[in-house]
Amino acid sequence: MFLKALLVALWVTWGLIDEQTFQFQTTRPIITGPVVGLILGDVKTGLLVGATVELMFLAVVFVGTAVPPDPTLSSAIATAFAILTGKGADIAVATALPVALIGQVVTTLQYTVVNVFFLHRGDKYAAEGNLRGLTLMNTLPLLMNFIFYGLPAFLAVYYGPTFVKPYIDMIPAKIIQGLAAGGGMIGAVGFALLLKSIKALYLWPYFAIGFIASAYLKINILGIGLLAITAAALHSHFMGSQKYVESPRM
Amino acid sequence: MTDERSAERLTRKDLWSIFFRQIFIRSALNFERHQAMGFANAMIPVIRKYYKTPKERAEVLKRHMELFLTQPMVSAIPIGIAAAMEERYATKKDIDPESINAVKTALMGPLAALGDSLINGTARPILAGFAAALAMQGSIIGPIIFLIGMTIITLGIRYYGVFKGYEQGVRMVADLQKSGLIAKLTELAGVAALVVIGGFIPQVVNVKTVVAYKAGDTVIKLQETLDGLMPGVLPLGITLIMYYLMTRKKVSAVTLMFLLMVLGVIGVYLNILG
Repeated sequence: MFLKALLVALWVTWGLIDEQTFQFQTTRPIITGPVVGLILGDVKTGLLVGATVELMFLAVVFVGTAVPPDPTLSSAIATAFAILTGKGADIAVATALPVALIGQVVTTLQYTVVNVFFLHRGDKYAAEGNLRGLTLMNTLPLLMNFIFYGLPAFLAVYYGPTFVKPYIDMIPAKIIQGLAAGGGMIGAVGFALLLKSIKALYLWPYFAIGFIASAYLKINILGIGLLAITAAALHSHFMGSQKYVESPRM
Repeated sequence: MTDERSAERLTRKDLWSIFFRQIFIRSALNFERHQAMGFANAMIPVIRKYYKTPKERAEVLKRHMELFLTQPMVSAIPIGIAAAMEERYATKKDIDPESINAVKTALMGPLAALGDSLINGTARPILAGFAAALAMQGSIIGPIIFLIGMTIITLGIRYYGVFKGYEQGVRMVADLQKSGLIAKLTELAGVAALVVIGGFIPQVVNVKTVVAYKAGDTVIKLQETLDGLMPGVLPLGITLIMYYLMTRKKVSAVTLMFLLMVLGVIGVYLNILG
Protein backbone atom coordinates (compact mmCIF):
# COMPACT_ATOMS: atom_id res chain seq x y z
CA MET A 1 0.00 0.00 0.00
CA PHE A 2 2.91 2.32 0.78
CA LEU A 3 4.19 1.99 -2.77
CA LYS A 4 0.73 2.49 -4.28
CA ALA A 5 0.10 5.60 -2.18
CA LEU A 6 3.51 6.94 -3.21
CA LEU A 7 2.74 6.31 -6.89
CA VAL A 8 -0.57 8.18 -6.58
CA ALA A 9 1.30 11.05 -4.88
CA LEU A 10 3.86 11.15 -7.69
CA TRP A 11 1.13 11.13 -10.32
CA VAL A 12 -0.69 14.02 -8.62
CA THR A 13 2.60 15.94 -8.43
CA TRP A 14 3.18 15.32 -12.12
CA GLY A 15 -0.40 16.42 -12.88
CA LEU A 16 0.25 19.77 -11.22
CA ILE A 17 3.63 20.14 -12.94
CA ASP A 18 1.95 19.40 -16.26
CA GLU A 19 -0.69 22.06 -15.56
CA GLN A 20 2.06 24.57 -14.81
CA THR A 21 4.21 23.72 -17.86
CA PHE A 22 3.26 21.62 -20.92
CA GLN A 23 -0.50 21.52 -20.30
CA PHE A 24 -0.97 18.12 -21.92
CA GLN A 25 -4.04 18.09 -19.62
CA THR A 26 -3.00 14.93 -17.74
CA THR A 27 -4.18 17.04 -14.83
CA ARG A 28 -7.83 16.51 -15.85
CA PRO A 29 -10.00 13.95 -14.00
CA ILE A 30 -10.63 12.02 -17.23
CA ILE A 31 -6.90 11.10 -17.28
CA THR A 32 -6.11 11.11 -13.55
CA GLY A 33 -9.09 8.83 -12.74
CA PRO A 34 -8.02 5.88 -14.92
CA VAL A 35 -4.33 6.31 -13.99
CA VAL A 36 -5.07 6.19 -10.26
CA GLY A 37 -7.39 3.26 -11.00
CA LEU A 38 -4.52 1.50 -12.73
CA ILE A 39 -2.21 2.08 -9.74
CA LEU A 40 -4.83 0.74 -7.32
CA GLY A 41 -5.75 -2.17 -9.56
CA ASP A 42 -9.23 -1.13 -10.73
CA VAL A 43 -9.13 0.73 -14.05
CA LYS A 44 -12.87 0.29 -14.60
CA THR A 45 -13.87 2.23 -11.47
CA GLY A 46 -11.10 4.73 -12.24
CA LEU A 47 -12.57 5.38 -15.67
CA LEU A 48 -16.07 5.78 -14.28
CA VAL A 49 -15.01 8.14 -11.47
CA GLY A 50 -12.72 10.07 -13.82
CA ALA A 51 -15.55 10.58 -16.31
CA THR A 52 -18.05 11.53 -13.59
CA VAL A 53 -15.76 14.10 -11.95
CA GLU A 54 -14.67 15.40 -15.37
CA LEU A 55 -18.28 16.17 -16.23
CA MET A 56 -18.72 17.96 -12.87
CA PHE A 57 -15.84 20.30 -13.71
CA LEU A 58 -16.11 20.17 -17.52
CA ALA A 59 -16.85 23.80 -18.19
CA VAL A 60 -15.44 25.34 -15.03
CA VAL A 61 -13.41 28.21 -16.45
CA PHE A 62 -12.12 30.94 -14.20
CA VAL A 63 -10.89 33.83 -16.32
CA GLY A 64 -7.95 36.01 -15.42
CA THR A 65 -6.36 35.45 -12.06
CA ALA A 66 -9.15 33.57 -10.28
CA VAL A 67 -8.14 30.14 -9.00
CA PRO A 68 -10.54 27.32 -9.98
CA PRO A 69 -11.33 24.35 -7.70
CA ASP A 70 -8.50 21.85 -8.09
CA PRO A 71 -9.35 18.96 -10.45
CA THR A 72 -6.26 16.74 -9.98
CA LEU A 73 -5.98 16.17 -6.24
CA SER A 74 -9.76 15.85 -5.99
CA SER A 75 -10.16 13.25 -8.73
CA ALA A 76 -7.16 11.27 -7.45
CA ILE A 77 -8.52 11.11 -3.90
CA ALA A 78 -12.10 10.54 -5.08
CA THR A 79 -10.95 7.61 -7.24
CA ALA A 80 -8.88 6.16 -4.40
CA PHE A 81 -11.81 6.39 -1.97
CA ALA A 82 -14.20 4.86 -4.48
CA ILE A 83 -11.90 1.89 -4.99
CA LEU A 84 -10.52 1.42 -1.47
CA THR A 85 -13.84 1.75 0.37
CA GLY A 86 -15.64 -0.29 -2.28
CA LYS A 87 -18.45 2.25 -2.45
CA GLY A 88 -18.11 3.16 -6.12
CA ALA A 89 -18.77 6.36 -8.00
CA ASP A 90 -21.38 7.85 -5.62
CA ILE A 91 -18.87 8.27 -2.79
CA ALA A 92 -16.42 9.73 -5.30
CA VAL A 93 -18.82 12.52 -6.22
CA ALA A 94 -19.43 13.26 -2.55
CA THR A 95 -15.65 13.48 -1.91
CA ALA A 96 -14.59 15.34 -5.05
CA LEU A 97 -16.04 18.79 -4.33
CA PRO A 98 -14.73 19.26 -0.76
CA VAL A 99 -11.25 18.09 -1.80
CA ALA A 100 -11.34 20.34 -4.88
CA LEU A 101 -12.05 23.31 -2.61
CA ILE A 102 -9.20 22.41 -0.26
CA GLY A 103 -7.00 22.22 -3.37
CA GLN A 104 -8.24 25.68 -4.38
CA VAL A 105 -7.10 27.12 -1.03
CA VAL A 106 -3.71 25.41 -1.35
CA THR A 107 -3.27 26.82 -4.87
CA THR A 108 -4.13 30.31 -3.66
CA LEU A 109 -1.53 29.98 -0.90
CA GLN A 110 1.02 28.85 -3.47
CA TYR A 111 0.40 31.85 -5.73
CA THR A 112 0.18 34.50 -3.01
CA VAL A 113 2.99 33.45 -0.66
CA VAL A 114 5.32 30.76 -1.95
CA ASN A 115 5.71 31.85 -5.55
CA VAL A 116 5.97 35.50 -4.54
CA PHE A 117 8.96 34.48 -2.42
CA PHE A 118 10.55 32.87 -5.50
CA LEU A 119 9.71 35.97 -7.56
CA HIS A 120 11.58 38.22 -5.13
CA ARG A 121 14.60 35.93 -5.19
CA GLY A 122 14.30 36.08 -8.98
CA ASP A 123 14.32 39.89 -8.83
CA LYS A 124 17.60 39.72 -6.93
CA TYR A 125 19.20 37.46 -9.55
CA ALA A 126 17.81 39.63 -12.35
CA ALA A 127 19.45 42.69 -10.81
CA GLU A 128 22.76 40.81 -10.74
CA GLY A 129 22.33 39.69 -14.34
CA ASN A 130 22.50 36.09 -13.14
CA LEU A 131 20.71 34.07 -15.83
CA ARG A 132 21.09 30.66 -14.20
CA GLY A 133 19.81 31.98 -10.90
CA LEU A 134 16.70 33.36 -12.54
CA THR A 135 15.99 30.10 -14.37
CA LEU A 136 16.40 28.22 -11.11
CA MET A 137 13.92 30.50 -9.31
CA ASN A 138 11.46 30.07 -12.18
CA THR A 139 11.76 26.26 -12.04
CA LEU A 140 11.97 25.48 -8.31
CA PRO A 141 8.28 26.25 -7.62
CA LEU A 142 7.45 23.11 -9.64
CA LEU A 143 9.09 20.94 -7.01
CA MET A 144 6.93 22.52 -4.30
CA ASN A 145 3.97 20.71 -5.86
CA PHE A 146 5.11 17.52 -4.18
CA ILE A 147 4.74 19.13 -0.77
CA PHE A 148 1.49 20.94 -1.59
CA TYR A 149 -0.36 18.24 -3.49
CA GLY A 150 1.70 15.04 -3.52
CA LEU A 151 1.97 14.75 0.25
CA PRO A 152 -1.75 15.29 0.95
CA ALA A 153 -2.55 12.73 -1.78
CA PHE A 154 -0.17 10.24 -0.15
CA LEU A 155 -1.68 10.73 3.31
CA ALA A 156 -5.23 10.50 1.98
CA VAL A 157 -4.58 7.27 0.09
CA TYR A 158 -2.36 5.64 2.75
CA TYR A 159 -4.31 6.52 5.89
CA GLY A 160 -7.55 7.94 4.50
CA PRO A 161 -9.70 4.89 3.80
CA THR A 162 -9.07 3.25 7.20
CA PHE A 163 -9.82 6.50 9.00
CA VAL A 164 -12.64 7.61 6.78
CA LYS A 165 -14.41 4.31 6.12
CA PRO A 166 -16.09 4.00 9.56
CA TYR A 167 -17.50 7.49 9.09
CA ILE A 168 -18.57 6.80 5.54
CA ASP A 169 -20.36 3.67 6.78
CA MET A 170 -22.23 5.84 9.27
CA ILE A 171 -23.58 8.22 6.61
CA PRO A 172 -27.15 7.28 5.66
CA ALA A 173 -27.44 5.97 2.10
CA LYS A 174 -29.89 8.76 1.30
CA ILE A 175 -27.31 11.46 2.05
CA ILE A 176 -24.77 9.84 -0.24
CA GLN A 177 -27.44 9.49 -2.89
CA GLY A 178 -28.38 13.15 -2.40
CA LEU A 179 -24.77 14.29 -2.65
CA ALA A 180 -24.41 12.26 -5.83
CA ALA A 181 -27.57 13.89 -7.20
CA GLY A 182 -26.14 17.29 -6.28
CA GLY A 183 -22.84 16.37 -7.93
CA GLY A 184 -24.73 15.53 -11.09
CA MET A 185 -26.08 19.08 -11.18
CA ILE A 186 -22.75 20.79 -10.47
CA GLY A 187 -21.91 20.72 -14.17
CA ALA A 188 -24.51 23.50 -14.52
CA VAL A 189 -22.27 25.91 -12.58
CA GLY A 190 -19.44 25.28 -15.05
CA PHE A 191 -21.69 25.95 -18.02
CA ALA A 192 -22.98 29.12 -16.36
CA LEU A 193 -19.36 30.26 -15.85
CA LEU A 194 -18.60 29.59 -19.49
CA LEU A 195 -21.75 31.42 -20.62
CA LYS A 196 -20.73 34.37 -18.46
CA SER A 197 -17.31 34.51 -20.17
CA ILE A 198 -18.92 35.04 -23.59
CA LYS A 199 -19.64 38.75 -23.74
CA ALA A 200 -21.35 38.87 -27.14
CA LEU A 201 -24.98 38.33 -26.11
CA TYR A 202 -26.25 38.56 -29.70
CA LEU A 203 -24.64 35.16 -30.31
CA TRP A 204 -27.10 33.38 -27.98
CA PRO A 205 -29.19 31.87 -30.82
CA TYR A 206 -26.23 29.49 -31.27
CA PHE A 207 -26.87 28.33 -27.72
CA ALA A 208 -30.43 27.45 -28.75
CA ILE A 209 -29.18 25.57 -31.83
CA GLY A 210 -26.92 23.44 -29.64
CA PHE A 211 -29.68 22.76 -27.14
CA ILE A 212 -32.27 21.79 -29.76
CA ALA A 213 -29.81 19.54 -31.57
CA SER A 214 -29.01 17.75 -28.35
CA ALA A 215 -32.33 17.64 -26.46
CA TYR A 216 -34.72 17.11 -29.37
CA LEU A 217 -32.60 15.58 -32.11
CA LYS A 218 -30.54 13.47 -29.66
CA ILE A 219 -27.23 14.23 -31.39
CA ASN A 220 -24.42 12.85 -29.25
CA ILE A 221 -21.46 14.72 -27.73
CA LEU A 222 -19.13 14.24 -30.69
CA GLY A 223 -21.88 15.31 -33.08
CA ILE A 224 -22.38 18.49 -31.03
CA GLY A 225 -18.65 19.20 -31.33
CA LEU A 226 -18.84 18.83 -35.10
CA LEU A 227 -21.94 21.03 -35.20
CA ALA A 228 -20.07 23.69 -33.21
CA ILE A 229 -17.22 23.77 -35.72
CA THR A 230 -19.70 23.93 -38.60
CA ALA A 231 -21.58 26.79 -36.97
CA ALA A 232 -18.34 28.74 -36.47
CA ALA A 233 -17.38 28.21 -40.12
CA LEU A 234 -20.79 29.40 -41.34
CA HIS A 235 -20.70 32.39 -39.02
CA SER A 236 -17.27 33.31 -40.35
CA HIS A 237 -18.53 33.08 -43.93
CA PHE A 238 -21.64 35.16 -43.46
CA MET A 239 -19.94 37.80 -41.36
CA GLY A 240 -17.53 38.24 -44.26
CA SER A 241 -15.08 41.09 -43.91
CA GLN A 242 -17.25 42.93 -41.41
CA LYS A 243 -15.32 44.80 -38.76
CA TYR A 244 -15.16 43.05 -35.43
CA VAL A 245 -14.94 45.03 -32.25
CA GLU A 246 -12.72 44.03 -29.38
CA SER A 247 -15.09 42.93 -26.68
CA PRO A 248 -14.25 44.40 -23.28
CA ARG A 249 -12.82 41.81 -20.96
CA MET A 250 -13.46 41.39 -17.24
CA MET B 1 28.98 41.42 -44.77
CA THR B 2 26.15 38.96 -45.34
CA ASP B 3 27.90 36.43 -43.14
CA GLU B 4 28.24 38.92 -40.35
CA ARG B 5 24.60 39.87 -40.59
CA SER B 6 23.28 36.33 -40.55
CA ALA B 7 25.49 35.60 -37.57
CA GLU B 8 23.78 38.45 -35.80
CA ARG B 9 20.32 36.97 -36.12
CA LEU B 10 18.79 34.39 -33.83
CA THR B 11 19.24 30.87 -35.22
CA ARG B 12 16.63 28.12 -35.32
CA LYS B 13 18.53 26.56 -32.43
CA ASP B 14 18.03 29.76 -30.41
CA LEU B 15 14.33 29.72 -31.25
CA TRP B 16 13.98 26.10 -30.16
CA SER B 17 15.61 27.09 -26.91
CA ILE B 18 13.04 29.90 -26.51
CA PHE B 19 10.26 27.42 -27.36
CA PHE B 20 11.42 25.10 -24.60
CA ARG B 21 11.62 27.92 -22.08
CA GLN B 22 8.20 29.24 -23.16
CA ILE B 23 6.71 26.03 -21.74
CA PHE B 24 7.76 27.32 -18.29
CA ILE B 25 5.95 30.64 -18.71
CA ARG B 26 3.71 30.03 -15.71
CA SER B 27 5.78 27.63 -13.60
CA ALA B 28 6.29 30.40 -11.03
CA LEU B 29 2.88 32.04 -11.47
CA ASN B 30 2.17 34.44 -8.61
CA PHE B 31 -0.32 37.15 -7.73
CA GLU B 32 2.24 39.95 -7.67
CA ARG B 33 3.43 40.02 -11.28
CA HIS B 34 1.92 36.76 -12.60
CA GLN B 35 4.03 35.33 -15.43
CA ALA B 36 6.75 38.01 -15.31
CA MET B 37 9.58 35.67 -14.29
CA GLY B 38 8.49 33.10 -16.86
CA PHE B 39 8.66 35.75 -19.56
CA ALA B 40 12.12 36.95 -18.47
CA ASN B 41 13.24 33.32 -18.38
CA ALA B 42 12.05 32.81 -21.97
CA MET B 43 14.17 35.79 -23.12
CA ILE B 44 17.40 34.25 -21.78
CA PRO B 45 18.57 32.72 -25.10
CA VAL B 46 18.35 36.20 -26.64
CA ILE B 47 20.13 37.81 -23.70
CA ARG B 48 22.86 35.19 -23.69
CA LYS B 49 23.53 35.77 -27.38
CA TYR B 50 23.74 39.55 -27.43
CA TYR B 51 24.83 40.66 -23.98
CA LYS B 52 27.95 39.51 -22.21
CA THR B 53 28.27 41.67 -19.09
CA PRO B 54 26.04 41.16 -16.02
CA LYS B 55 25.12 44.83 -16.09
CA GLU B 56 23.71 44.68 -19.63
CA ARG B 57 21.98 41.39 -18.86
CA ALA B 58 20.39 42.84 -15.73
CA GLU B 59 18.95 45.68 -17.78
CA VAL B 60 17.10 43.36 -20.17
CA LEU B 61 15.97 41.01 -17.41
CA LYS B 62 14.56 43.93 -15.45
CA ARG B 63 12.56 45.01 -18.49
CA HIS B 64 10.89 41.61 -18.69
CA MET B 65 10.28 41.26 -14.97
CA GLU B 66 7.34 43.64 -15.37
CA LEU B 67 3.81 42.30 -14.86
CA PHE B 68 2.71 39.92 -17.59
CA LEU B 69 -0.37 37.71 -17.76
CA THR B 70 -2.12 35.94 -20.59
CA GLN B 71 -3.27 32.44 -21.47
CA PRO B 72 -0.11 30.26 -21.17
CA MET B 73 -0.23 28.58 -24.61
CA VAL B 74 -0.83 31.74 -26.64
CA SER B 75 1.79 33.63 -24.62
CA ALA B 76 4.15 32.07 -27.17
CA ILE B 77 3.10 34.79 -29.65
CA PRO B 78 4.24 37.82 -27.60
CA ILE B 79 7.35 35.83 -26.62
CA GLY B 80 8.23 35.29 -30.29
CA ILE B 81 7.54 38.96 -31.07
CA ALA B 82 9.54 40.19 -28.06
CA ALA B 83 12.48 37.99 -29.14
CA ALA B 84 12.43 39.64 -32.56
CA MET B 85 12.25 43.11 -31.02
CA GLU B 86 15.06 42.41 -28.55
CA GLU B 87 17.17 41.10 -31.43
CA ARG B 88 16.53 44.27 -33.39
CA TYR B 89 17.31 46.51 -30.44
CA ALA B 90 20.52 44.60 -29.67
CA THR B 91 21.79 44.60 -33.25
CA LYS B 92 20.54 47.90 -34.68
CA LYS B 93 19.52 50.02 -31.69
CA ASP B 94 16.84 51.66 -33.88
CA ILE B 95 13.82 50.91 -31.72
CA ASP B 96 12.86 52.16 -28.30
CA PRO B 97 13.21 49.32 -25.74
CA GLU B 98 10.14 50.74 -23.99
CA SER B 99 8.08 49.76 -27.02
CA ILE B 100 8.80 46.09 -26.33
CA ASN B 101 6.81 46.19 -23.12
CA ALA B 102 4.15 48.31 -24.79
CA VAL B 103 3.62 45.60 -27.40
CA LYS B 104 3.49 42.87 -24.75
CA THR B 105 0.92 44.78 -22.73
CA ALA B 106 -1.21 45.54 -25.78
CA LEU B 107 -1.42 41.85 -26.73
CA MET B 108 -1.98 40.45 -23.24
CA GLY B 109 -5.72 41.12 -22.89
CA PRO B 110 -7.03 40.19 -26.34
CA LEU B 111 -4.85 37.06 -26.46
CA ALA B 112 -6.06 35.96 -23.02
CA ALA B 113 -9.68 36.29 -24.15
CA LEU B 114 -8.93 34.36 -27.34
CA GLY B 115 -6.89 31.65 -25.62
CA ASP B 116 -9.43 31.12 -22.87
CA SER B 117 -12.38 30.79 -25.21
CA LEU B 118 -10.51 28.70 -27.77
CA ILE B 119 -8.85 26.25 -25.36
CA ASN B 120 -10.88 26.23 -22.13
CA GLY B 121 -14.20 27.17 -23.71
CA THR B 122 -14.17 25.09 -26.86
CA ALA B 123 -11.40 22.59 -27.61
CA ARG B 124 -11.01 21.10 -24.15
CA PRO B 125 -14.70 20.72 -23.24
CA ILE B 126 -15.45 19.11 -26.64
CA LEU B 127 -12.59 16.61 -26.36
CA ALA B 128 -13.14 15.97 -22.64
CA GLY B 129 -16.91 15.56 -23.06
CA PHE B 130 -16.34 13.07 -25.86
CA ALA B 131 -13.75 11.22 -23.78
CA ALA B 132 -16.03 11.12 -20.73
CA ALA B 133 -18.94 9.78 -22.81
CA LEU B 134 -16.73 6.92 -24.05
CA ALA B 135 -15.25 6.32 -20.60
CA MET B 136 -18.73 5.97 -19.09
CA GLN B 137 -19.11 2.92 -21.32
CA GLY B 138 -15.83 1.55 -19.95
CA SER B 139 -13.67 2.44 -22.93
CA ILE B 140 -10.12 3.69 -22.44
CA ILE B 141 -9.98 5.00 -26.04
CA GLY B 142 -11.71 8.28 -25.12
CA PRO B 143 -9.08 9.46 -22.63
CA ILE B 144 -6.29 8.47 -25.03
CA ILE B 145 -7.82 10.52 -27.88
CA PHE B 146 -8.26 13.42 -25.45
CA LEU B 147 -4.61 13.28 -24.46
CA ILE B 148 -3.34 13.06 -28.03
CA GLY B 149 -5.61 15.90 -29.15
CA MET B 150 -4.59 18.23 -26.33
CA THR B 151 -0.89 17.42 -26.83
CA ILE B 152 -1.09 18.42 -30.48
CA ILE B 153 -2.95 21.61 -29.56
CA THR B 154 -0.65 22.74 -26.75
CA LEU B 155 2.63 22.01 -28.54
CA GLY B 156 1.29 23.24 -31.88
CA ILE B 157 0.18 26.63 -30.55
CA ARG B 158 3.45 27.12 -28.66
CA TYR B 159 5.57 26.20 -31.70
CA TYR B 160 3.54 28.40 -34.03
CA GLY B 161 3.58 31.29 -31.56
CA VAL B 162 7.33 31.36 -30.99
CA PHE B 163 8.43 30.76 -34.59
CA LYS B 164 5.74 32.79 -36.35
CA GLY B 165 5.85 35.55 -33.76
CA TYR B 166 9.61 35.88 -34.22
CA GLU B 167 9.42 35.72 -38.01
CA GLN B 168 6.75 38.39 -38.30
CA GLY B 169 7.85 40.47 -35.35
CA VAL B 170 6.19 43.82 -34.81
CA ARG B 171 4.44 43.51 -38.17
CA MET B 172 2.30 40.78 -36.61
CA VAL B 173 1.00 43.17 -33.95
CA ALA B 174 -0.08 45.67 -36.59
CA ASP B 175 -1.67 42.92 -38.68
CA LEU B 176 -3.49 41.41 -35.73
CA GLN B 177 -4.89 44.75 -34.63
CA LYS B 178 -5.70 46.22 -38.03
CA SER B 179 -7.52 43.20 -39.40
CA GLY B 180 -9.32 42.61 -36.11
CA LEU B 181 -8.17 39.00 -36.40
CA ILE B 182 -8.07 38.40 -32.64
CA ALA B 183 -11.55 39.83 -32.20
CA LYS B 184 -12.83 37.73 -35.08
CA LEU B 185 -11.33 34.50 -33.77
CA THR B 186 -12.66 35.28 -30.29
CA GLU B 187 -16.15 35.71 -31.71
CA LEU B 188 -15.93 32.46 -33.68
CA ALA B 189 -14.71 30.63 -30.59
CA GLY B 190 -17.72 32.14 -28.80
CA VAL B 191 -20.06 30.74 -31.47
CA ALA B 192 -18.55 27.27 -31.14
CA ALA B 193 -18.61 27.48 -27.34
CA LEU B 194 -22.30 28.44 -27.29
CA VAL B 195 -23.26 25.47 -29.49
CA VAL B 196 -21.21 23.22 -27.22
CA ILE B 197 -22.75 24.63 -24.03
CA GLY B 198 -26.29 24.39 -25.37
CA GLY B 199 -25.67 20.90 -26.67
CA PHE B 200 -23.83 19.55 -23.65
CA ILE B 201 -26.28 20.78 -21.01
CA PRO B 202 -29.00 18.14 -21.63
CA GLN B 203 -26.42 15.34 -21.72
CA VAL B 204 -23.92 16.41 -19.08
CA VAL B 205 -25.98 18.11 -16.40
CA ASN B 206 -27.60 15.20 -14.70
CA VAL B 207 -30.93 15.89 -13.00
CA LYS B 208 -34.10 13.84 -12.98
CA THR B 209 -37.26 14.15 -10.96
CA VAL B 210 -39.02 11.11 -9.52
CA VAL B 211 -42.24 12.98 -8.78
CA ALA B 212 -45.29 10.93 -9.77
CA TYR B 213 -48.97 11.52 -9.21
CA LYS B 214 -52.14 9.63 -9.75
CA ALA B 215 -54.76 10.78 -12.23
CA GLY B 216 -57.62 8.36 -11.95
CA ASP B 217 -56.12 4.90 -12.30
CA THR B 218 -52.95 5.82 -14.14
CA VAL B 219 -49.73 6.97 -12.50
CA ILE B 220 -48.27 9.94 -14.29
CA LYS B 221 -44.55 10.44 -13.99
CA LEU B 222 -43.57 14.11 -14.13
CA GLN B 223 -40.24 13.36 -15.81
CA GLU B 224 -42.00 11.59 -18.68
CA THR B 225 -44.38 14.51 -19.12
CA LEU B 226 -41.46 16.93 -19.18
CA ASP B 227 -39.54 14.77 -21.68
CA GLY B 228 -42.60 14.81 -23.92
CA LEU B 229 -42.90 18.60 -23.85
CA MET B 230 -39.30 19.73 -23.73
CA PRO B 231 -36.54 17.22 -23.14
CA GLY B 232 -33.67 18.56 -21.09
CA VAL B 233 -35.75 21.33 -19.55
CA LEU B 234 -34.54 20.63 -16.00
CA PRO B 235 -30.80 20.78 -16.82
CA LEU B 236 -31.45 23.89 -18.92
CA GLY B 237 -33.47 25.54 -16.16
CA ILE B 238 -30.84 24.87 -13.51
CA THR B 239 -28.05 26.19 -15.73
CA LEU B 240 -29.98 29.38 -16.50
CA ILE B 241 -30.75 29.90 -12.80
CA MET B 242 -27.03 29.48 -12.04
CA TYR B 243 -26.22 31.98 -14.79
CA TYR B 244 -28.74 34.43 -13.39
CA LEU B 245 -27.48 34.11 -9.82
CA MET B 246 -23.91 34.49 -11.02
CA THR B 247 -24.35 37.52 -13.27
CA ARG B 248 -27.17 39.43 -11.58
CA LYS B 249 -26.85 38.42 -7.95
CA LYS B 250 -23.03 38.08 -8.03
CA VAL B 251 -23.14 34.76 -6.16
CA SER B 252 -19.75 33.01 -6.39
CA ALA B 253 -19.36 29.78 -8.33
CA VAL B 254 -18.15 27.90 -5.27
CA THR B 255 -21.21 28.96 -3.24
CA LEU B 256 -23.45 27.78 -6.08
CA MET B 257 -21.70 24.40 -6.15
CA PHE B 258 -22.37 23.97 -2.43
CA LEU B 259 -25.93 25.09 -2.91
CA LEU B 260 -26.52 22.40 -5.54
CA MET B 261 -25.04 19.68 -3.30
CA VAL B 262 -27.38 20.72 -0.47
CA LEU B 263 -30.26 20.91 -2.93
CA GLY B 264 -29.44 17.37 -4.06
CA VAL B 265 -29.68 16.01 -0.51
CA ILE B 266 -32.92 17.88 0.20
CA GLY B 267 -34.35 16.77 -3.14
CA VAL B 268 -33.64 13.11 -2.45
CA TYR B 269 -35.09 13.32 1.07
CA LEU B 270 -38.28 14.93 -0.21
CA ASN B 271 -38.52 12.34 -3.01
CA ILE B 272 -38.29 14.99 -5.69
CA LEU B 273 -34.91 14.09 -7.17
CA GLY B 274 -33.61 10.66 -7.98
